[in-house]
Amino acid sequence: MIEVRELQKSYGDLVAVDHVSFSAGAGMVFGLLGPNGAGKSTTISCLSGLLKPTAGSVSVGGFDLASDAVKAKASLGIVPQELAIYEDLSARDNLAYWGAAYGLKGDGLKQRVDHILSRIGLADRAGDLPKEYSGGMKRRLNFGCGLVHEPGVLLLDEPTVGVDPQSRERLFDLVREEKAKGTCVLYTTHYMEEAEKLCDELAIIDHGKIIAAGTLAALRAEFGGSDIIRLSGSFELASVEPLLAELEAELLSLTTEVLMISIRDGARNLPAVLQAISSTGAEIRDTRLSEPNLESLFLKLTGKDLRA
Amino acid sequence: MRFIFVTVGKELKRRFNDPGGLISSIMIPFVIGFLMAAVMGGGGGQPSIKARLLVTDLDDSFISQGMISALGQDQVADLVQVEKLALETGQQRINEGDGSGHLVIPQGFGEAWLAGEEVALHLTVNPSQSISPRMIREMLESLLDLGDYLHKVFGEELKIISQSLEGDELAVISTRDFSGDIADKISGFADLVFPPVLAVEDVTPQPQSVSVSMALLMFPGVLVMAAFFAANGQSSNFWTEKEKGTLGRWVASPNAFFSFWVAQWFTAMFLTAIVTAPIMLAGFLYLDISFEKYFTSLGWLALTGPVLFAVLSVIQVLAPSRKVGGMIATLVMFPLLMAGGSFFPTETMPEFIVAIAQYTPNGNVVEPLKAYLMGEFGASGMFSDLWGIMAVALMLVLLAGFLSARKALA
Repeated sequence: MIEVRELQKSYGDLVAVDHVSFSAGAGMVFGLLGPNGAGKSTTISCLSGLLKPTAGSVSVGGFDLASDAVKAKASLGIVPQELAIYEDLSARDNLAYWGAAYGLKGDGLKQRVDHILSRIGLADRAGDLPKEYSGGMKRRLNFGCGLVHEPGVLLLDEPTVGVDPQSRERLFDLVREEKAKGTCVLYTTHYMEEAEKLCDELAIIDHGKIIAAGTLAALRAEFGGSDIIRLSGSFELASVEPLLAELEAELLSLTTEVLMISIRDGARNLPAVLQAISSTGAEIRDTRLSEPNLESLFLKLTGKDLRA
Repeated sequence: MRFIFVTVGKELKRRFNDPGGLISSIMIPFVIGFLMAAVMGGGGGQPSIKARLLVTDLDDSFISQGMISALGQDQVADLVQVEKLALETGQQRINEGDGSGHLVIPQGFGEAWLAGEEVALHLTVNPSQSISPRMIREMLESLLDLGDYLHKVFGEELKIISQSLEGDELAVISTRDFSGDIADKISGFADLVFPPVLAVEDVTPQPQSVSVSMALLMFPGVLVMAAFFAANGQSSNFWTEKEKGTLGRWVASPNAFFSFWVAQWFTAMFLTAIVTAPIMLAGFLYLDISFEKYFTSLGWLALTGPVLFAVLSVIQVLAPSRKVGGMIATLVMFPLLMAGGSFFPTETMPEFIVAIAQYTPNGNVVEPLKAYLMGEFGASGMFSDLWGIMAVALMLVLLAGFLSARKALA
């Protein structure tokens, strides 16, 4: 449904997207995970025709975006990161307008609008202007505007930014419903939990490049079955680092306040790790043992916190 | 094409959901027009318009001099200021737009007139003025009619006077006989003329009289001012849609980007009609203009008014931001309103501003409408410039589309 090959977008010397390639099929949620400024939104903009790529190709629904733009765009639905709705038109009018933009009309359009209003939970406020809505309601309407024409491919650019927990869950449900219907969903986020909850496959992007890609299980396997130990406290950098080799642990992150390592059989080795670190004079206030997650994977790959 | 009209409907709905903007587009010109008309002598008052007629007398005869003198007499002098000058100077001045008209009295005019032969006067009028040249034409026609009667009644006597001034032939007629002839003719007519023997009631339907009240002169300008305010709001919609992200949605949709601008252009047409219709209604009632002209006038404004939207749109898309675009558009709009005859009728303006007015987009909308409302020409005359104005507007809209395409994606 969507295929990206060697996509590149440059602004002069600045390379915002650097030879990015991935593909996603029908009924799949593909996640693009990366920190702010990693190139996720630029990639989405290239995919939706908002930006012209410097190089590479994008195919949507089997149509090349450069040579067959109208057909490619017709099969796309976009949910931009910023709200893209008319605050001076009712929710119903917003949906009807964007449905008409994709050729829907008459009873078909009306039924589709009613259906979407019901799905996004705004049926009882359909006639109100969005300027009277809460932030979450506006987000849901923004989402609905991208869905109204039943696109085969849905691009969601950080759709949950600034959304209350209740609305966020409703948006997750909508994504799952779209997936169940066979829609190909491209989902960008910098929230690991969202990616873990929703995505079948992931690509981790940083500085415009994909640094890891695959299913969540495959990405976890990058750790080779290791666990993650995270210690908070006060550490002396110079004395901690030499100990890690003796413990057969891999350093993920080390600051004066936080130490993160990956180590095989974490539960069994935790006492030894605590004893060794304490022996350097470090003060340990909090200890966490977990399975590898996207945050730790990102840390391992880039050496920096995803939320930074 | 269908989606363009869906978009027009959407735009109009947005405007109606924000009635404050629409009402201010109607009320501000209404109030300004009312105040300006009041300041300049009130709605029904006569304007202080004086046509400037440049006259070149190549004949320099008793008859031609008498005619020029007649132009400087009594009520005619209140309307026309006559300035005698040489042929070349007169031609140069009228070509530069300095004057309302240039009248050339050809050599031999007096002789031909006395002989009852056909003779033509040459009048060149200033096309940038609408009222003054018309006044001159009507006045000259009246003067020539009067001259015709004079010739019929006192032709012989005038011939004698003329010859006596140019030769010595008066000597052959005694003053007593000459005076007696004139007195006989006047007394013969006196019973018929003072008072009339029969009172005639003219029941012929009179043509619509042309009022030149200040309010009427200002009225088309006020309508175009309203159209201008509406156009200004619509032209900034590009920035609104860009900032709201809806322009991005449009670009991501299968619709051509240029169709966005075409939809804005059509919206400007409807908005112009919506905003000017109530002002026009009030004006027609107040100025007692025939309602036969209502819809044609409205049509003219709706079709030509978007040229103002087009001009402002180009300014907006050339600007680096909404704020700068708004500032420049305002800086351009008010001088255009001033020069184009919205604050003051062109008839009351200095010649150099009148010369500028004919090159302003709003001036090209105001003047034909004014001439139509004043009965100078019919609807077909007003609409003769329609395609030209619409073509300019469409070109500017497409230019705005071209210039904004990159900006929309940035």
